Amino acid sequence: MSAVLQSLVNQPYKHGFVTEIESDIAPKGLNEDTIRLISAKKNEPEWLLSFRLKAYQKWLTMTEPDWQNVQYPKIDFQAISYYSAPKPKKKLASMDEVDPELLRTFEKLGVPMHERAALAGVAVDVIFDSVSVATTYKQKLAEVGIIFCSISEAVHNHPELIQKYLGSVVPVGDNYFAALNSAVFTDGSFCFIPKGVKCPMDLSTYFRINTESSGQFERTLIVAEEGASVSYLEGCTAPKFDTNQLHAAVVELIALDDADIKYSTVQNWYAGDENGVGGIYNFVTKRGLAKGRNSRISWTQVETGSAITWKYPSCILRGDNSVGEFYSVAVTNNYQQADTGTKMIHLGKNTRSTIVSKGISAGHSNSSYRGLVRIAPTADGARNYSQCDSMLIGDQCGAHTFPYIQVRNNSAKVEHEASTSKIGEDQLFYFSQRGIDAEEAVSMIINGFCKDVFQQLPMEFAVEATKLLSFKLEGSVG
Amino acid sequence: MSEIASNDYLECLLKSWSIKPTESQSWLNQLRSQAIDRVSAQKLPTKRDEEWRFTDISSLTHLPYRPSQSECALQASDIEHLYLNEAENSLVFVDGHYSPELSKIVDQAALVIGNLPEFLSTHSATLECHLGQYATFENNVFSALNTAFLRDAALILVPKNVSVTRPIHLLFIATQQEVTSYPRCLLIGETGSNVTIIEDYVALQDATYITNSVTEISLAANAHARHIRVQRENTHAFHFANCAVSLAHASHYQSASISLGSHISRYNLDVRLLDEAAECIIDGLTLISDRQLADTHTCIDHVKPSGTSHQQHKCIVDDSAHAVFNGKIIVRPHAQRTNSSQSSRNLLLSSAAQIDTKPQLEIFADDVKCAHGATVGQLEQEEIFYLESRGLSELAARNLLTYAFGAEIISRIPVTSLRQQLEQAVLNQTQGK
Amino acid sequence: MIYENSTTILSVQGLHASINGTEILKGMDLTVKSGEIHAIMGLNGSGKSTFAKVLAGHSAYEVTAGSVQFEGKNLLELPPEERARAGVFLAFQYPIEIPGVANTQFLRLAYNTVQTQRGREELDPLEFDDFVREKMKLLDMKPDFLDRSVNEGFSGGEKKRNEILQMALLEPKLSILDETDSGLDIDALKIVANGVNQLTNKNNATILVTHYQRLLDYIVPDYVHVMQAGRIVMTGGKELALELETRGYDWISTNKHSIAGEVA
Repeated sequence: MSAVLQSLVNQPYKHGFVTEIESDIAPKGLNEDTIRLISAKKNEPEWLLSFRLKAYQKWLTMTEPDWQNVQYPKIDFQAISYYSAPKPKKKLASMDEVDPELLRTFEKLGVPMHERAALAGVAVDVIFDSVSVATTYKQKLAEVGIIFCSISEAVHNHPELIQKYLGSVVPVGDNYFAALNSAVFTDGSFCFIPKGVKCPMDLSTYFRINTESSGQFERTLIVAEEGASVSYLEGCTAPKFDTNQLHAAVVELIALDDADIKYSTVQNWYAGDENGVGGIYNFVTKRGLAKGRNSRISWTQVETGSAITWKYPSCILRGDNSVGEFYSVAVTNNYQQADTGTKMIHLGKNTRSTIVSKGISAGHSNSSYRGLVRIAPTADGARNYSQCDSMLIGDQCGAHTFPYIQVRNNSAKVEHEASTSKIGEDQLFYFSQRGIDAEEAVSMIINGFCKDVFQQLPMEFAVEATKLLSFKLEGSVG
Repeated sequence: MSEIASNDYLECLLKSWSIKPTESQSWLNQLRSQAIDRVSAQKLPTKRDEEWRFTDISSLTHLPYRPSQSECALQASDIEHLYLNEAENSLVFVDGHYSPELSKIVDQAALVIGNLPEFLSTHSATLECHLGQYATFENNVFSALNTAFLRDAALILVPKNVSVTRPIHLLFIATQQEVTSYPRCLLIGETGSNVTIIEDYVALQDATYITNSVTEISLAANAHARHIRVQRENTHAFHFANCAVSLAHASHYQSASISLGSHISRYNLDVRLLDEAAECIIDGLTLISDRQLADTHTCIDHVKPSGTSHQQHKCIVDDSAHAVFNGKIIVRPHAQRTNSSQSSRNLLLSSAAQIDTKPQLEIFADDVKCAHGATVGQLEQEEIFYLESRGLSELAARNLLTYAFGAEIISRIPVTSLRQQLEQAVLNQTQGK
Repeated sequence: MIYENSTTILSVQGLHASINGTEILKGMDLTVKSGEIHAIMGLNGSGKSTFAKVLAGHSAYEVTAGSVQFEGKNLLELPPEERARAGVFLAFQYPIEIPGVANTQFLRLAYNTVQTQRGREELDPLEFDDFVREKMKLLDMKPDFLDRSVNEGFSGGEKKRNEILQMALLEPKLSILDETDSGLDIDALKIVANGVNQLTNKNNATILVTHYQRLLDYIVPDYVHVMQAGRIVMTGGKELALELETRGYDWISTNKHSIAGEVA
């Protein structure tokens, strides 16, 4: 079986090309001056600079975490350039003015923005390296009072909102990489859905890391006021470089009473080659605060890329009756490492959370699920259900499950289930006896395995995710 | 707790070590001195250590625990109620010291059974191969301490193809206050042998003390052992125990560990399936109340193919007690066709009770069947209602269901008198409310 | 049924096959013509299930000698999926469970793959749904079974019906039913047998691999072959099965080849 599997796996990375766009790059290295430079470049108010400096001071006192089940050489934070912006020739008013080279890049990525925007009704906020260069559909959203723009823009146009919410879910000193991000973040998306508004379309951002050895530190902040709802899509790709690049993003979500935020990610950063050279270090802090009564935060992620993935999209369920969800598919191949999972912190009464995690490991890769379910003494009637399944393809890879269950309230009910499975020779023979070849059989089995998660994705993302998985595992079964 | 305090504490313990190495066996002296080195090189674990995250033992350092004295004032009549009817062979240790007067040995001919020092000259080579070889102390300060203080120990060697029909009772009695005792057991099951041992910890006093025990079990091909472990120390005691089990080809290890006593207890069980087709069945029950803390860490390590392991651990936690379970299952590369299941079921009886459970899988082989599950909750409202509708009071219904929850584990213990005692203990606990 | 001027569908000659170096098939000879139903009987370990799997192309078995012609083509050089597309169908003794894959999805993919191969139109999900529901009536199956994962949690009888349903969908030239009767109660057996009977015609052929005679009460074979130690040791008509039922397999050893020779 391994022969057929092996032959199917090793597909070249499709998004590996560098766009030749003149960049405005800060000198490498991190110190207070770098931070002042970033802040000055972006013409930021004083309060934001002090936010950054506070984070930087905090970061200096912290040490890089080492508890996760991943191995990588020490990162030299002084060898990274913390600011890289494409130099646009003039201010952009519409998509037509975007650098055609850039547009071609997106076409190669398979993101025909205007088409996608027009046909699918998706507003795309494009992040190229660290600066937002185009925002579509802003006008249409503005009509219903929704703010959807880059963080830098929001800092200038809506400082009161940014000051109120930035760092309120992920404090500057939350963890090593979050502190780093808070000190040096260059751009990201801001989304504000006012009271009672249901966002009329899915909002989407496409991230892409372009410049070699520039860390990407974007920052996303989404606020849904009372009764508001939004579905947000994030897609990530990066070109191929032999060196490893650092991606340390922070995403904060805040849901007030009866609000609903759904955040979906398809992550396909460059994973390194078949020998484990190169690839993105994806160290991301994502956290949602279900602050209000009956609020809901839902994370869905399909993680197929990056040399190392280290992220735990989490929910703090503070409001009574609030709901947290985490649906995840993590696929690793070759020498990839993924340590991912979630934290569900139940504080409010009758809070509910659901965790569905599917890990697929092939090649020499290792995939870990690490999850925390904490029921605080105040969380009367809290409920959690977790299901963590792993699938191994080949005998050189590993699957690990680390579920932490901490219960401090006896009216709570927590259930956790985990299992492992494999794609067996017998299964493949059964398929082939019905005329179905191995490649198609594997893709069908895997999609079946991930069904519970894919169902959570918006339609086009689900299609993309399915394709991505098939690519990713092509050649690993056989 | 500061590191200095902790290191001082360990140093004090070592200084209090007054037993001089008199045995002629140089390997034993060497083992002890290696252990002493490892004690000196380590610190007492704190909550910052992942393995001790939920168990704070800093209060240990507040009391200077001397090693226990070897004099024993107990008469057989004092402990009549502690003997088990089914057991013909009983080895009794008082505060860690072997008591030949209280022990009963009848199978001297068929087995090697008794206190370790008696066999050092006659079975030196065999003992050297096993003693201290499974319960490693490289990174375990409690094992290291126990090994450093190693003198008396329960030794059972079941020769090839010998089947011991009646269980062997290893009884460890605590009588002295503010002392540390270091119980030690070694069970060697040769090829095709079969034995049942009961490792039983009790107290005849109400003050605080420390038990730091180490048990090693080695089963050769096709050997079977049932290992029942009952920890019923008094509720001021500290109980630290390490048990290491090594399984050869197609050997079979079945254990039930019941934790009822101690203020703070910690039980580490490490089972290594070192050859193909080895099997283990591991049951655990923790039943605690007041401010007790009971921490169980198990590790089942599938090293070779076709192994089977089934584990069921249950905790019943009342008042402000705190139960911790960490169950790790490792399937090593090439340990194909491993079949492993684990379940952690937890019942919280009061609003201040706490549970931390972490069933953990680490799998490096693809052709395996592994599943684990964990639940935490209260008694099912539906079940209570069903019993009420049949005329039971709510309290009676709760007691019955709680009892049934724990009894599932106890009912699998193959020693009738012990099973009855434990059932009674669960009953007392559940009806104490 | 035996027809005159029928064409040869399968021709097996001197087939030897082994698994992990152990030889199981030791010179199988068998010719199957269109319209015919052949029963292969034998004790456990006689090699009858191995023969079925070797015809379907299971990779665990190695063919060491002999030839297998299927409609004039060398079957042995085709991978299993090509054999299936060419019209060889194996109803598994132990149908495989595939968690997460809905039965309807699986059936449609298999059906469309074979259709494409035969130059016919694929069916979209809605068309297929109508089509498959019609076929399911043949086997008295509940509709909810389409949404369940392939064979997962199916009872023994449901699994076997699912196999015959697939046979009905794929319209094979040669169906090999490996112990299809095992695990079925008498009612289920009748349903399955009835399904098979409706699917046989003068253009296709069927090989029934079975241990017991009872299936043959409902699917009447034209030939009965008895296997022993990896080859056919006796061949006869349907009455041979009854003979075996009353006299037991031991009787064969003493009467080898006594009735053989009726089949080309």
